[in-house]
Amino acid sequence: MKKFLALLLAALLVFSCVSALAEGEKIVLKIYAQYADDDTKIPYDYAVEKLAEAYPNVELELIVQAQDDGATLLSLAAGGQLPDIYQTGSGIFATLRQSNQMMVLNDVAERTGFAAKVYDTCKEFLYSDDGNIYAFPYAGHEYVLLYVNKALFEQYNLEIPTTFDELKACAEVFNANGIVPMALFAQEGWNAAAVYDIVATRYNAGGIKALDNGTASITDEAYVKAAEVVADLAQAGVFQTGATSTNYDQASEMFLSGKAAMFVNGQWYIPDAEKALGENAIWIPYPSYSEEAFEASKTAFCGSGSVSGYAVNPDSPNAELAAEVAAFISEKYCEAKIVLRSSPLVALDVGMTNDELPVMMQDLVATIPTMTSTTAFTWGLTNPTFTEAIGTWSQALISGEYSAQEVIDEIAAVME
Amino acid sequence: MKRYLSNRWAIIAFIAPALILFGVFVFYPLLQVFFYSFTEWDGVNPAVFTGLANYRKLFDYSAFKVANLNGLKFGAVITVYQIVLATIFAIAVSDKRIHCRKFFRTAYFIPVVLSVTVVCQLWVSIMEPTNGLINAIARALGINWQQNWLGKRYEAIYAIAFVNAWQWMGYQFALLVAGMKSIGEEYYEAAEIDGATALKSHWYITLPLLKDTYNFCLLVSVTGGIKAFTEMQIMTGGGPGTATYTLTYIMYRQAFVSHKYGYGLSAAAILVLECLVVIMILNWLFKDRETPLLKRRSLKGGELA
Amino acid sequence: MSTVPVKKKAKLGSPRQHRGVSSVLFTIFLWLYAVISLYPLLWMIFYSFKSNEEIFVTNPFGPPIAWKFENYVNAWTQYDVPLYFKNSIIVGALTVAITIICAMMFTFAVARLRWKLSETARTFIALGMFIPVQAIMLPVVQTVSGLGLMGTRWSLIFPYAGINLAFACMVYYGFFKGIPKEMEEAACMDGANIAQTFLYIMVPLVAPATITIAIYVFLSAWNEFILANVLVGTTAHLKTLPLGVLFFQGQFTTDWGSMGATMVIASLPAIIVYCLFSERVEQAMTVSGAVKG
Repeated sequence: MKKFLALLLAALLVFSCVSALAEGEKIVLKIYAQYADDDTKIPYDYAVEKLAEAYPNVELELIVQAQDDGATLLSLAAGGQLPDIYQTGSGIFATLRQSNQMMVLNDVAERTGFAAKVYDTCKEFLYSDDGNIYAFPYAGHEYVLLYVNKALFEQYNLEIPTTFDELKACAEVFNANGIVPMALFAQEGWNAAAVYDIVATRYNAGGIKALDNGTASITDEAYVKAAEVVADLAQAGVFQTGATSTNYDQASEMFLSGKAAMFVNGQWYIPDAEKALGENAIWIPYPSYSEEAFEASKTAFCGSGSVSGYAVNPDSPNAELAAEVAAFISEKYCEAKIVLRSSPLVALDVGMTNDELPVMMQDLVATIPTMTSTTAFTWGLTNPTFTEAIGTWSQALISGEYSAQEVIDEIAAVME
Repeated sequence: MKRYLSNRWAIIAFIAPALILFGVFVFYPLLQVFFYSFTEWDGVNPAVFTGLANYRKLFDYSAFKVANLNGLKFGAVITVYQIVLATIFAIAVSDKRIHCRKFFRTAYFIPVVLSVTVVCQLWVSIMEPTNGLINAIARALGINWQQNWLGKRYEAIYAIAFVNAWQWMGYQFALLVAGMKSIGEEYYEAAEIDGATALKSHWYITLPLLKDTYNFCLLVSVTGGIKAFTEMQIMTGGGPGTATYTLTYIMYRQAFVSHKYGYGLSAAAILVLECLVVIMILNWLFKDRETPLLKRRSLKGGELA
Repeated sequence: MSTVPVKKKAKLGSPRQHRGVSSVLFTIFLWLYAVISLYPLLWMIFYSFKSNEEIFVTNPFGPPIAWKFENYVNAWTQYDVPLYFKNSIIVGALTVAITIICAMMFTFAVARLRWKLSETARTFIALGMFIPVQAIMLPVVQTVSGLGLMGTRWSLIFPYAGINLAFACMVYYGFFKGIPKEMEEAACMDGANIAQTFLYIMVPLVAPATITIAIYVFLSAWNEFILANVLVGTTAHLKTLPLGVLFFQGQFTTDWGSMGATMVIASLPAIIVYCLFSERVEQAMTVSGAVKG
C-alpha cells in the first residue's frame, strides 16, 4: 500500500513538472480592469480574443475593479502589490507617479505607433502635465447630456424647455400628472455635480473645471448664481423627491419606463435610451436663464475626457511586455467601442467606422465640431479636495435642504 | 490557591497568542493610524510631519460636528431599539410556554446573516418616497403622511440608524439568549416559591445576572453608531450634503476621495478615542456592582425572600 | 458531567397572569416581528430572479413577474463559484479556530487568573472593537506584505482573527466571570494543573459562548468584503465569495438581479450553518446550565 502511494506521488510529481514546463511558455500578466457591464465586458473580451492571436504566449489574469473611489488601487500601491497592468483615472495619477509606480511609456507609445494614432483632439488625454505618457487612454471626449422623453412632452402639450423658468413650468405640469420631471441619481456625487456644472456653464463656460484648476472661484458671481438656480429648481420640484438617495439604475429605470421626462447622464447612455424609448429619446441643449443666454451658450458643453487608461507597474518582471500589451489592449478597446458599442468617441484613430450609429449619437458627432468649450466629469478633475467638495455640496443643493449661500460657504471653506 | 492562580508562566502562555495576533494585525496598524494622523500623507509616498494641522482642520470642518452628533443619534437609536427588543425577545424565547420558540430564535437572527448591501437596498425601496412601501401603506390608509425618509437633512440619520438597529438586533438577541441559558434554573424556582411574578423574577434575576452581557451589548450599540459607514455609503452617499456623515465616513471621503490619507486618519483617531471614552464610562457605570456571581447569588436570594 | 439531572422546567410566574388580551397581543407582536425579519430573505430571493426594471420601478416588493433564471446562470458562469466557496469555507473555519483558541486562553487568563495588568490587557484588546476597517486597511496591507504573507490564505485569516479577537474576548469575559470560584478550587484540590483546569473544566463550561462566538466570527469572515478585496483580490485562486459581486457592479450600471443571485448563493449556506448550529447551541446550553445548577 505504502509503495503504491509513493509511486502515485512520484507520478503526480513528474506529471506536474511536465505540465508546468509545458505551461511555462506562457507569461501571465495580471490586469486590473473594469469588467461588470456590457460597456466594459464586451471591449475586454474582444481585446482578450485579439490578444490571443497577436501575443499567443501571453495570458491575462483579470482582477475586477471595485467601485470604491480607487481605495483598492491605493491599498495595493501602499503594499507594493500593484498588478502588471492597471486601469486608472486622474485622481490617483499624481500619487502613483510620485511613488514611481507608473512606468513611463513614451518609448513604447512611439514604438507601437500608439502615440501616432491618438486623435489630435485627444492628445491631452495621452500626455500628463510633465509631458510624459503614463497610461494608454482609450476613452475620448465624453459629455454630460440632458436626455428627454419627447413623447411625454407631447402628451402634455409642452414645449422642450430652453430656460429655467420654462423648465419649472414643465415640472409643475409633470408633477401634477405623477411624472417625475427630471430623474437624477444624486446618491452619486458626480451626477449632482454634473447638474451643478450644467447650470454653472450657463454663466461661466469653464464650469467646474475652472474651479478645479483654480482659474475661477466658487464665490464668483457666476457660481453663486448657479447655486441659487439649482436650489431654486430643487424647490420647484424639478428633481424627483428622494433624488439624493436614488442610485443610477433606479433613476435610469424611471426614465426608460416613461416615468420620468428628463434624465441627466453621460453620452454612454445613448444605446440604452434608444433601445428602450426608440426615437422618443433625444438629448437637448441645456436650458439657460434667458432665451438669449440659451442661444449664446448652446455650444458650451459639460463633461470631457481625462488623462486615464491602462498604466503599467514598472516593478513588474515583464514590464516591457506588459506595456506593449497595455497599448494593444487600449487600441482594441477603441475598436470594440466603435464596432460593438456604437460609440465612436474614442481616443484613437483605429481606422474603423460604424455606419449604424444611433440617431442621438449621430447628432452628437455632428455637434462636436461646433462645441466651443467643455468641462469635466468629477473623475476627470485633478484637485481631489475640490472633487470631494463639489460632489458632496452639489448633492446638498439638489436635496433642497440647504441654501445656496450655505453651500457656497462650505465649498469656499474647504478650498481655502 | 492564590499561588495556583498567579503562576506567571501560565499567565504568559495563556495571553501570548492573543497578544501577538492582536499586536501584529490590529494594534500595530492602529499605532500607524495615530502616527500618520499627524502627517500629510497620500497613503503611498513618504509622509510629512505636520503636527496638529490635521486636527485643527478637522475641528474646523463643519461636517465634523455633524458627524459627532450623528454618532450620538445613531448610537441612541440603536441602543434603545436593540436592547429593548432583544431583551423582550430573549425572555420570550426562554419562556417555555411560548410556542415555536425555535422558529422565533432563527427568525430574529436572520437579518444578521444577510449582507448589508441587500438589507440597505431593501430599506431604500421600502422608504422610497413615491413607490415605497411605507408611503404606499399610508396612502392606502388614506393618511396624508408622505415622507422623504432619506432625503431630509435632520431626519435622514434616524432612518438610517433604524435600518442598522433593525439588522443587528438579532446579534444582541442571540447574546442575551446565550446568557439567559447559562443562568441556573434554580434561581427562578426559588423566585417562584417566593411568589414572584415572571416580570419580577426577570427584573431581579435575569437582568442583574446578565450585567456583563448587557455591558457588552451597550458597548456594541453605542460604538456601532460612532463607527457606522456602509449604510450611509449605500443609502444616501452621506447626504444630503454632509447630513448623514459619521466619523468613519469623513475618514473614508478624505482618505480615498480627497487623497488626504493623513487627514482622514485624524478622524479615525478621534473615533477610536471616543470609543475608548465610551468603554470607560460603561465600565465605570457597571463597576460598583461587580461582585462575583456566587456572592450575588446569596444576596439576591436574600432580597427576594 | 453526563449524569446531570434532567432539565427541569422552571415555570415563571403563574399562568393565570399571562392569559388574556396582553398575552394574545404579545404573541401577535412576536409573529409580526418574525415576519418582518424573514421577509428580507424572501425579498432577496425574489430580487435575484428580477430585472433592474422590476426591482426599481414596476415590482419592487412582490414575486417576480418574469422569472429571470439567467441571473443565476450569470452568477454561476461569471466566476468559479465552487472555488470561491471552498476558499470562503477554509478562511472562515480557520479564522474561527484561531480566534476561539486565542480568545478563550486570553480571557481565561484575564478573568480567572490573578495578575496586575489583567484589566488593562482586557481594555487593550477591546480596542479592536472600534477600529473602522477602512482606517487600518493600508497599514494592514503593508504589514501583511511585509511579513511575506501576500498571496497566501494567511494574509486574510490572521487579520480576520485579529480583528474578531476583541469581540470574542468581550463575550467570553462575561461567561468566564460567571463561573463560580469553587470550580478552580475543586480542581486545584484534585491536583489538576492550570492547563488541565482550563481544558477540562473551563472550556466545556463556556461552550454556549463558544458556539455563539463561532457563529458570529464565521459570519463576519464569510461576509467580509473590504479586506478580502485588497488582500486576496489580486490572487485568483484565493478569492472568497463576497468578491463575486464585483462582476456585476459597473462604474455606472449594476446588474442587480445577478448580484442578488450571487448574494443568495453566498448567504444561503450561512443561513443553513446558523440553523444547524443554533440546534447545537441549545444542546450545549442544557448541559452547561445543569452543571451550574
